Amino acid sequence: MTAQELLEVRDLGVEFTAPDGSPLRAVRGVSFTLRRGETLAVVGESGSGKSTTALALNRMLPGTGHITGGTVRLEGRDLATADDAELRAVRGARIGMVFQDPMTALNPVLTAGRHIDEVLRAHGNRDKAARRARTVELLDRVGIPDPHRRADDYPHQFSGGQRQRILIATALAAEPDILLADEPTTALDATVQDQILTLLGDLNRETGTALVLITHNMGVVARACERVLVMYGGTVVEDGPTAEVLTRPRHPYTAGLLAAVPRLATPSGTRLTGIPGSPPDLTLLGDGCAFADRCTLVEDRCRNATPPLARVTGDVRVACLPAAGRTEPLPAPAPPARIDRPAPGAVVLEADGLTKTYGGRGARKRGVPALDGVSLTLAEGETLGIVGESGSGKSTLARVLAHAHTADGGTLRLRGEDVTRPSRRALHAVRRQVQMVFQDPYASLNPRMTVGEIVAEPLIAFGIGDRDARRERVAELLVLAGLDPAVAGRHPRSFSGGQRQRIGIARALAPAPSVLICDEPVSALDVSVQAQIVGLLTDLQRDLGLSLVFIAHDLAVVRQVSHRIAVMHRGRIVETGTADEVCDRPRDPYTRALLAAAPEPVPPAARPERVEKTRALA
Amino acid sequence: MTQTTDLLTAAPPPAARKPRATPRSRHPYRTALSTARARTGLVLVGLVVLAGLLAPLLAGHGPTDQSGQSLAGPGTPGHLLGTDDLGRDLLSRVLYGIRTDLGIIAVAVPAGAALGCLLALVAAAHPVADTVVQRVFDLLLAFPGLILALAVTAILGPGRIPVVLVIALAEVPVFGRLLRGGVLVQREREYVTAARVGGGSGSRVLVRHILPNAADPLVVQIAVSLTVAVFIEGAMSFLGVGVRPPQPTLGAVLSQSMPYLAQAPQFAAGPLITVTALVLGLSLIAEALNREIRR
Repeated sequence: MTAQELLEVRDLGVEFTAPDGSPLRAVRGVSFTLRRGETLAVVGESGSGKSTTALALNRMLPGTGHITGGTVRLEGRDLATADDAELRAVRGARIGMVFQDPMTALNPVLTAGRHIDEVLRAHGNRDKAARRARTVELLDRVGIPDPHRRADDYPHQFSGGQRQRILIATALAAEPDILLADEPTTALDATVQDQILTLLGDLNRETGTALVLITHNMGVVARACERVLVMYGGTVVEDGPTAEVLTRPRHPYTAGLLAAVPRLATPSGTRLTGIPGSPPDLTLLGDGCAFADRCTLVEDRCRNATPPLARVTGDVRVACLPAAGRTEPLPAPAPPARIDRPAPGAVVLEADGLTKTYGGRGARKRGVPALDGVSLTLAEGETLGIVGESGSGKSTLARVLAHAHTADGGTLRLRGEDVTRPSRRALHAVRRQVQMVFQDPYASLNPRMTVGEIVAEPLIAFGIGDRDARRERVAELLVLAGLDPAVAGRHPRSFSGGQRQRIGIARALAPAPSVLICDEPVSALDVSVQAQIVGLLTDLQRDLGLSLVFIAHDLAVVRQVSHRIAVMHRGRIVETGTADEVCDRPRDPYTRALLAAAPEPVPPAARPERVEKTRALA
Repeated sequence: MTQTTDLLTAAPPPAARKPRATPRSRHPYRTALSTARARTGLVLVGLVVLAGLLAPLLAGHGPTDQSGQSLAGPGTPGHLLGTDDLGRDLLSRVLYGIRTDLGIIAVAVPAGAALGCLLALVAAAHPVADTVVQRVFDLLLAFPGLILALAVTAILGPGRIPVVLVIALAEVPVFGRLLRGGVLVQREREYVTAARVGGGSGSRVLVRHILPNAADPLVVQIAVSLTVAVFIEGAMSFLGVGVRPPQPTLGAVLSQSMPYLAQAPQFAAGPLITVTALVLGLSLIAEALNREIRR
């Protein structure tokens, strides 16, 4: 080990014990080194073991997790076998952590300054005035304006981005050698994410703190890290300099993942590329490459032996048996196909000046309007993309359009008929026409019902068919959504996120609606699965002639699936136009800021310099 | 469906591809009741209930028959547990006491629970109804259990009905609040919105979607409430406002034994051990259910 090497992980294995007592190998034989001052991204989809690896580094594993083997050497000292006193000395002082959700990671009854003060005191700073001075200095460093005054504010008085800044300040308080950031920007909007990544980069340059950034977002990797570790099924599949890995991926999974990331430059009407299949079930993983089942270049030997992480060229290491012998780059995935879709027809749904304000009873509690005069039209067979950051009112708009909430003002017309405040009977008729797909595939399915019952529920509610006819229709709908009809008897808990979203789509299609409102249908899904769901929706639109309202915060996805895009900001639509026009020639400053902040999986060298960045928002 | 999407045919539904090794189809309650904790509880409760049900077969004497031997020790021929101060067989008094107790709590707790749940559903229907129901619950909770017991008995006189009424009234707000809380939590969940958008009527959404998901804590609460009911009955009999003597209840026998605690401690032992076994058993079951549900 040279002086440059700060942290050396060898053959790390982590196991969880499932409730029924069977072991679940979350991390298997992970090895990597972290050099002083380096920025390392650990990227992977849900269940790839990236967070578990990070938490294992300072032994903060939750629940039944325990290290089963391997070493974690921090300058020669093995943390995997260290006792509690040693670990406490390492946590905070040598390894600082930043968590995913800034809303819950700060204690709501302590002030921002107190959080930092606690860390300083825990690491032996006894001088109160000095601690205070250092607290203010740290808050100033992470970009909290007016730090003297704001140090005494409570977490709820800060915005999400500011809270993440406070967390970063807390993690840096004891001047650690390593800053471990577990999905630090996932809960934040794109524009705020951009600012936080800039901050992390600046801190790394100025203080020399090594940064380990756990993320699922290839764009974040490209934006913030020099080196990247790609994880899949609990193992490292590729490790190398970001610029190299992102431009010349050696592992088929890395290549697939990169191809699956929607690019802003891709014109409207292009099909997203996905990776077939779904992420592996860790309880069933045996020998062989974890990716073998989804790999298009699979060979027989891949299924029998676990591929070692071997050096191929320069700094790049890949865990793929065929990759070692491969000289030419991986075959580029098939060029994105166009979606063959008919041109939109007559207007189906028309909204004019919709307003909605949430608030308690009584006039005094009225808050900021969630919808402030929204007007839009949706044609037959058309996809209208709605983009906006959190709090822009897009989910409220979805619920008002689907009649889950009633609008306070304005009018909503379905095929020319006013349905803003329908009577009970009219509402029933409207709901048969307008159905909805929800964001969270885990929360939107009743956990007590079987898949068959869930899909049949709207059929019963609308009185469609008798028992046998309904069973047939359910099977038909499941096939339509790309599921095996045999799953009807199982409960939602035994399905992955992507499969659950298919169940949600099957339910929405049950009453044969003509309008489908999709409220962030893919934002809870992994990138490789996202393409499957988006593809399913566009195919269903083509086959059934559906009109889609597609809500998302990711402009790139929206551009590819939508005919037209509406950009929402603070309850208003600030810009509408055809998808390509809005993305290529944005007129509104907010749209421009959104476009500038979207992280693209292109290494900085290959990227044309962006001038505007987020200045428009500041 | 080949025309639906090429991508999907390339991806076999993983559900079909790998069937789960162990389908967890067992109901969580069954899992809970098969734990050692719950089994111990079931055995304890089962023994007590069985003793009560079989009282006419097990007891050699009627519960009110006097033998002339007062305060006989345990093991006296013909009186396994001895006799009380009036010469009545203690074993029969305890066994018949269980019968009386079970008869009361088996009616009172479900009645209270049903009424509480009904009120909670009314509360869920409309904000105004909610306010009214909440104040009713406040009113019931404002009375300490024993004050309520004394008040009810003052109006109705002592007897079985007032005991049932007091226990039921004490349980109404407990169940009502619990279910109302559950409904409020579940109502905001996305699957409920999905059910409404799916065309479900208000009552259907409430009964089919919200109730089953809000009902878990109620099952635990029933076990807890049965325990509390045993105590309330005991306390009322102990204070002399419960079931009218000479009919035996566990609380009444215990109350009767108090003056003789120094000279005849075995007098109190029978009812005490029975109540302890019943309460311990119910608590173990409640705890086991609770642990499984929280998972």
